Parts: sequence; C-alpha cells; structure tokens
Amino acid sequence: MRYLRLFGMQIRASLLLSMQYRLEFVLDGFVEVFWMATAVVPLYVVYERRQDIAGWSFGEALMVMGWFTFLQGVLEGAINPSLVTVVDHIRKGTLDLLLMKPADAQFLVSTARLQPWRTVNVATAIAIFGWGFHLLRRVPSAAAVATASLAAVAAIAILYSLWIVTVSAAFYLVRIDNLTQLFNAVFDAARWPAQVFRGVVRVILTFVIPLALMTTCPAEALLGRLPLHVLAGCLLAGGLSLAVARRVWQTSIARYTSAGG
Amino acid sequence: MIVVRDLRKHYRVHERPPGVAAAFRSLFRRAYKDVAAVDGISFAIASGERVGFLGPNGAGKTTTLKVLAGLLHPTSGEVDVDGHDPRRREDAFLKKIMLVLGQKQQLLWDLPPSETFELNRAVYDVPRAQFAETMGELSELLELGDLVKKPARTLSLGERMKCELAAALVHRPKVLFLDEPTIGLDVSMQATVRDFVERYNQRYGATLILTSHYMEDVARLCPRVIVIDHGKLAYDGTLEELVARIRPDKRIVLRFARPVDASDLAAFGRVVRHGAGESVLDVHKEDVNRVVGQALAQLPVSDLTVENPPLEEVMSELFARGRTAAARTESRSPGPLEAAEGSTR
Repeated sequence: MRYLRLFGMQIRASLLLSMQYRLEFVLDGFVEVFWMATAVVPLYVVYERRQDIAGWSFGEALMVMGWFTFLQGVLEGAINPSLVTVVDHIRKGTLDLLLMKPADAQFLVSTARLQPWRTVNVATAIAIFGWGFHLLRRVPSAAAVATASLAAVAAIAILYSLWIVTVSAAFYLVRIDNLTQLFNAVFDAARWPAQVFRGVVRVILTFVIPLALMTTCPAEALLGRLPLHVLAGCLLAGGLSLAVARRVWQTSIARYTSAGG
Repeated sequence: MIVVRDLRKHYRVHERPPGVAAAFRSLFRRAYKDVAAVDGISFAIASGERVGFLGPNGAGKTTTLKVLAGLLHPTSGEVDVDGHDPRRREDAFLKKIMLVLGQKQQLLWDLPPSETFELNRAVYDVPRAQFAETMGELSELLELGDLVKKPARTLSLGERMKCELAAALVHRPKVLFLDEPTIGLDVSMQATVRDFVERYNQRYGATLILTSHYMEDVARLCPRVIVIDHGKLAYDGTLEELVARIRPDKRIVLRFARPVDASDLAAFGRVVRHGAGESVLDVHKEDVNRVVGQALAQLPVSDLTVENPPLEEVMSELFARGRTAAARTESRSPGPLEAAEGSTR
C-alpha cells in the first residue's frame, strides 16, 4: 500500500517534469504519433509480396506487431527513462543519496522516470489488434483475451528483468549506452513471429533473450491457440526472471562503493 | 549515540605504471594493492554533540562518514549508530539519519524544490501535519520564502544548498552527516548555512558530524574535532587544545609609526612577515606579555594586536607533520594517501 502511494508520487513527479516544458511536451506527442504510424510499415512491405511467413498470415502477424508495439511502449515509456536516470546516478555518485532513502532502492530506481506520452503505444497496439482481427474476420474470445493478458504480464516481467540486469551492469561498466543500444536492436527482432527465425538464432531468442515468449506467446494466446502448458511456462519464466534479476541487483548494490568516496 | 571501534576500510585498487605498454600488460596481469582508507579508528559521540572531522584530502573522512551512513561496509571493526548496525540499512535507521554531500544534489533538477520535499515526505512516511510543521520551521530558519516554488535549476548554488538541506531534513533526522556542506558557497552563504546548522542542532538536539575544508565551519560549529590522517585517528578533543598543542604561539601584529629594521625585530620573536609599516611576529604564548611590554617600550609602535595563528595554517602544519611522520614509516611504499580517496570504486 505504501509502495502504491510512492508509485503515485513518482508518476506525479514524472508528469510534472514532462509538462515543465510545454513545447517539448507537444513535440513529444507528435513524434510519438509519427513513430506509431511508421511502425507497421516493414511488416506491410513484406506481406505485399507473400501470403504468409512461417505459417503466419498478415492478420496473424499483426497480433505479434501489436504486442511488440505495446511492449515497446512499456520499454520506452517506463523502463528506458529510468535506466538513463540510474546510470546518471551512478556516474555522478548521487546514487548514494538514493540509497539513503528508507524504501527499496530497486523500486525507487525502477519508477524514477516515466514518459507519459508512451502510453499512446497502448492505444496504437489496440488499433493494430483491431485491424488484425478485422482482416481475420473474427473476434477474440474472452478466454483468449484473458490468457493473452497473463502472457503479457509474463512478458513485461521478463522485459523488466532483462533491464534490471542491464542496469546492474552499469555498476561494473559505468558507461552502458552501447549496451542499451544493443538491447534495443535485439528487441527489434520481437516484431516478427518467433517462427520466422531458425536454428541457433531461434534457440537464443527463446531461451537466452526470450523475445519469442514476449511477443509471440501473447499473440498466439490472443488468436486462441496458445497451449495452457506453454502459458504456464511463460508465467514460470516471468517469475524466475524476476527472482534472478532481484538477485543480480542485490549483488551489484552490495558491491557498489560510490565514486570518489 | 555513535560508537566506532577499531574501524578499518581497505580497498583493493588496481595499480598500473604509466604508459601504453604497461596499460596493455595490465589487461592480462593486474597488480593489486591494498589501500587502507580507514585504518583502525575508534571514537564515541554522545547524543546532541557537534563533531568536526578534519584531515587532508584522502585522509579517510568521507569514507568514515559513509561507513556511518551505511553506504560503505567496513572491512573490520564495529559501528553502532543509535543502536543500529548501519550496514543493514534498516528503514528505522535510515529514518533517523540524513546525509548531505556538498557536491551532490538530490533536488529534482527541473522541478521546484517543493516537489522534492513532497516526494521525500512520501518516501519517509511523514504524516502531513508533521510535514507542514517541519517545512514551516525549516523555511523560517533557512529563509526559503519563494525559493521552493522556482525550478531547482534556476536557483543559485547557495539557494540550492539551502533547499538541499531542507529536503534532507523533511523527516527530522536525529543524526546529521554533513560532508562539505559549504563547498563553493560565498562567505555570507557559508555563514547562513553554519547558523542554520547550529540552530537546528540546538532546536532539535540532533547529533552532528561535519567534514569541511573551511576551518571556519569547524571552528564555529564544532566544539569537538576528530583529526583523521592517513586513515588513523590523529587527534580527538577540543579545537582550542589542538591549536594550543600544535602552535603554542600567539601572533603579534605590530604597526609602526616609522620604518623599523628587520634585524631589530628578531630579538622579540619569530618574524613571519616584515613590511614597511607592519610586521607580524610569532611568540610563545607564555612570552606574550613580556614581548608586548618590550615592543611598546623599544619600538615606534602605533598599533598592536595579539591573535591566534590562522586555523588554516595550524592545520597545514599538522598535516605536514603527519606526512613527514608517515614518509618515515612507509619509505618503502610511498604515497598511499593520494590513492585512498581517488580510487574507491
């Protein structure tokens, strides 16, 4: 309950921060809408020449695209800005002041900065789902929506965990800009159904950086064809990754001795 | 309130001779060296006391402070702050203390300080009524006024430090750790910060540990000083006694009606400075009366003052002594004191 209140305070500060500069706020909105409009283009181009890819029709692939857009919103709206903040803290040594607060440091760091405009992604994702179902000429069942939501929760947990591990790397490397770029580049692969990839790449994308779990599973769930045991696997993977991330974070904090102290 | 017993903090630092070849070699084989930032310090501080940590750069002051605040884990030794082991960083402990680092800020840069206060209120779980009361008192003591409504980035350094202090005191901590709180501030702002800290201490009975490069801060605020040098405790007691011990001299400033030869002054004491109209002598404090009498009788004195030697000088003498002593004992491996503070990552 206390943390819920704290979360509210952090969101409030982020909102105020975003609105501090009016022009930037408006421009951010425009840029966001523009990016969303271009998001579907690569998929569209590919499907102009082919009926299906790896068993996915255009309409079905749009489900993956929708979840990709949704997760990208989560990543860029909530995860990356906080990442930038914590790296800044480490470099300037102000993480000390954060660690002095009587609240969980991982929580404070994770909620430090949010970009409210990125919530537009959620609306865009819903629009993409709508388009996809329109092409497929069907409506998702309530059960499909429920399983898809659960799979999405697992996906967010995995995404968040990968991010916490990346942040923890900052304690050792100090400069992790390249790492985040790599992360974004790899994440881009999640816009395609996992079946598109083959061999080693697919193994890596399923087990090492589980992009398949992140976008393909919720998409399959929405299409009503995700087996329950796979859903259970997703949730297990989500929980497990959270636990691992927590462990990595705690180890890093313990090793942290502030710069110039 | 605070008990420290045989505190040690050692860092393992990677040592590398200069040059590209050496840098390349160190990619494969690294030479490490143990640096003792704090090397067996013990002291006890009572509730409500104001204590100043003195010492040259890299002496271990900030390291000690950070160990007390729970940010660094000691290599060995015992630390107790009001019944807590700082290492565990329990909420109950963190709510009792505050840490202000003069060179680092917690204010949200683009927002008014009032937003940071509000955020801290939530983080520290301060009830609204108490928060309003505390903020009222703090803004009165610090004369915050409208400052809290302007974005932090538009404030001057001094104004920001005032808000920084207020932000760190939202939860009315019982123990204040201040690391260089007046660094970079102009003289009048330094005085404002000092006055505030003193009044806060008196009003709330808070315990205070301060490190500062400005002797004025320590002289004005701290009846008791702890001198740390080379990670060791070099002195623990009152400032007057420390000064008397290092410099048993008083400083006599003489102004003359007409020029006096330097050779005529040598008989009175050690000549620190000699100019056309003014000379400065250092005289052992027991000889002051005699020397003043003689000077008035024998020299064309138009004005005369007796003062303590400047604190800055006393300190640099103390640390210079420490260094020569250390150089003697560590002549085989010189220079750990530079490494201690610069390489704690």
